[in-house]
Amino acid sequence: MALDGRAEIPRPAFWTPQRRWLLAASGAVLLSLLGTGLFRQALFNPGGIPQLWSFLQASLQPDLSPEFLQLTGRATLTTLAYACCGTLLSVLAGLVGGVLTAEVWWQSVWPRQQTKVHVLINGTRALLVIPRAIHELIWGLFFVNIFGLDPLVAILGIAIPYGAIVAKVFAEIIDETPRQPLQALLNSGVLPLAAFCYTLLPQAFLDLLSYTFYRFECSIRSATVLGIIGAGGLGYEILLSLQSLRYSQLWTLFYALFLLNGLVDAMSALLRHRLGSPTRLDLNLKRRSTQAPISSISPTSTSVVPSIVPATRESVSLWSWLQRWLWRHSLRLAQLGLLVLIPFSFWYVQADFSKLVAPRTVRLLGEVARAALPPRLNGSPDQLVTLSLQTLAMSILAIAIAGLGGMLLSFPAAHNFFLPGGILSGPREPQMRRVAAWLGFGLTRNVLLICRAIPAPIWALVALFVLFPGILPGAIALGIHNLGILGRLMAEVTENLDRRPLLALKAQGSPGVLIWLYGVLPLTLTRFLAYSLYRWEVCMRETVIVGLVGAGGLGRLLTEQLSSFDYAGVLVTLGCLMLLTLGVDGISRRARQALR
Amino acid sequence: MTRRHRAGRSHPEPATTNATADSKSALPLFELRQVSHRFGHHLVLDRLNLQIYPGERVAIVGASGAGKSTLLRLLNGTLTPSEGDVWALGQNLGRLSGARLRRVQRQIGTIYQQFHLVDSLAVIHNVNAGQLGRWPIWRAVLSLLVPQQVETAAQALQRVGIPEKLYARTDQLSGGQQQRVAIARVLVQDPLVILADEPVASLDPERSHEVMALLCELVQEGGKTLVVTLHLEELARRYCDRIVGLKAGRIHFDGPADTITPEQMANLYRGQE
Repeated sequence: MALDGRAEIPRPAFWTPQRRWLLAASGAVLLSLLGTGLFRQALFNPGGIPQLWSFLQASLQPDLSPEFLQLTGRATLTTLAYACCGTLLSVLAGLVGGVLTAEVWWQSVWPRQQTKVHVLINGTRALLVIPRAIHELIWGLFFVNIFGLDPLVAILGIAIPYGAIVAKVFAEIIDETPRQPLQALLNSGVLPLAAFCYTLLPQAFLDLLSYTFYRFECSIRSATVLGIIGAGGLGYEILLSLQSLRYSQLWTLFYALFLLNGLVDAMSALLRHRLGSPTRLDLNLKRRSTQAPISSISPTSTSVVPSIVPATRESVSLWSWLQRWLWRHSLRLAQLGLLVLIPFSFWYVQADFSKLVAPRTVRLLGEVARAALPPRLNGSPDQLVTLSLQTLAMSILAIAIAGLGGMLLSFPAAHNFFLPGGILSGPREPQMRRVAAWLGFGLTRNVLLICRAIPAPIWALVALFVLFPGILPGAIALGIHNLGILGRLMAEVTENLDRRPLLALKAQGSPGVLIWLYGVLPLTLTRFLAYSLYRWEVCMRETVIVGLVGAGGLGRLLTEQLSSFDYAGVLVTLGCLMLLTLGVDGISRRARQALR
Repeated sequence: MTRRHRAGRSHPEPATTNATADSKSALPLFELRQVSHRFGHHLVLDRLNLQIYPGERVAIVGASGAGKSTLLRLLNGTLTPSEGDVWALGQNLGRLSGARLRRVQRQIGTIYQQFHLVDSLAVIHNVNAGQLGRWPIWRAVLSLLVPQQVETAAQALQRVGIPEKLYARTDQLSGGQQQRVAIARVLVQDPLVILADEPVASLDPERSHEVMALLCELVQEGGKTLVVTLHLEELARRYCDRIVGLKAGRIHFDGPADTITPEQMANLYRGQE
């Protein structure tokens, strides 16, 4: 190989934008850690270890008495029903809001007025930021003040912020759908609404539907959290049992929660696979044209419902038959389920929708408005700044825990990784290795499920067994909860990897670690980081709900203000939270652009 | 015994080129014995017997679905046959696993129709992926931060004609350039034999001839062996010295390129029973 005349190619600078962001992120995590007082004061409370131990021990002796099981069943149904009603309302609101905030809608209505369109879109989008930035729990606490302890609190608490989130995502989906068919109809004089119904909406239907299923998963978790403020359901019962130190009852409720979350997540994953858009967050990531098509999904190649046990021949065939049956009939079953579930949910929760327009409600809302205006702070602005910084630190630590932990656990939790036939498994693995791979798979999946099923405030209360109150237990609680969510999303990314480059590395005899390093990681890391950055914003919103149980930050101030009806102060605190959320959103967007 | 003498060697001495005539007396590089392969109930390869000797340039031709790609995947050990044995470099691939299989695989470089590169990495890392069989792990990790053996990678890229793309991101390259990166990766791997699965099917005719000519040059320079699946008769006749025709999972003909008649070729694509 002759080299004559080859010009030396300059090596690119070591400090690429990505590496600068990495450095900045590490710095932020370090500063946040310092902010917890990690190296200055006692954080751990060894006195709580016996209590933690008895809490953990109770996991083996859940309360299985018939009365308590009945109560658990009712609480589970309540949570499910809240989630169902909340999702339905938020999707309806989101559909309207999504169309109204889509660029393409206003362009079809006023094709010639570019500036008007821009003003309208930016205006409607800005309006939606407010309900989105306020956490479900704060909405819930606010509605408790208005409606009292009514199921309406939980339903509206979910529907309002979720409606705004769904609207944003639906608008993105609608805007990314190809517009030629729409243009064809519009050019022939069809009215915009009719043209939408015949083109963009059916075109985007599958994406919209699969996002709806994902929202339903999130609704279950929100419904549980809303229970904690007194709306009833599993969250409420869990808090009662925890406060009265009845750990065996607590674990019965936990198991119900795992079961509910596990079933809903599995059904949703199955349906989303069936609809062909398995990772909904991809919608936000601007599909890259070079991306290889997702390998055709069939029940034999990728088992969506993973079998946990490497079983005998007969049970394998039974299992695969069941899988195929589920796969084939999943959509029909889902339709049937929805037809039953929706009316049942509304009947079961017995929400008093007439309260929405009752004179009392109108009067109370008026009073709130009068009390809230003008916004006024009872206390020093310094305190507000300190609390804001604490909240920021909490969110940074939480996302660091969730992101790193999620990445680590996502690989063993992906069914195409260590398992037989997976990316890192050889053709003839010894029996021991295979069993270990299956065990690891089952274990990590369950750990992720437990992490995300238990609401963050409950994790915070558990963390408070052994930690002194402060932002550290809050960050750990948020971190653990979001780890469960991120880990699962990341496992789905790995499961949908283009396998061909990896097989090419394998075919040339690279060891497993290096296939991971040169193939899997480069293909997944940017997406993992993008997911984490998205989730950072969510963590920011959720700092409020761990503040509720005394983890500090703005959340604690907010709950105090709400319970003392200090609406003027509430507005100030919400303003701070909103600014923080916007800041986090801005930084996260810039970081994601640099990563792309 | 004598079969084993090739396996596990990391650096082959340059074999004699143009060895078709006398290499028949040498030991085969690949040997398939009564090999069948099924995907589910579908029989893709049906009791194949095939020997490939060092220094040969073998084209495997046939209609799509004839089993060409499956055959290559059996040869590089990423697939184990349903029945029969695949011997490569004196080793029965079906009996090997883990590190011993990987040691054989390092002597087999593969090039694919869809390139199979890691899109989001810089070209240099994709080329250096050819080193992964040799490098210790710390060096592979370090190389992702501070590229290692840049000179070797640059030489390989120079050889395939795109030296300026060393630090470009792979997904910004055209199809023809990506295939050159894939070839550079195999060059760096420096195997005894190169398998190429429809290497030019994604390229236009001009690019196809360039890539095939390049492959043949590299094989001849390095005294390597080439096994390439093709669907164009013209390319097979021009660049290879032996043609194996596959039809419905069986060998339809097998011989020196100049003895294969146009009728035999036409038969290959006619009347799938």
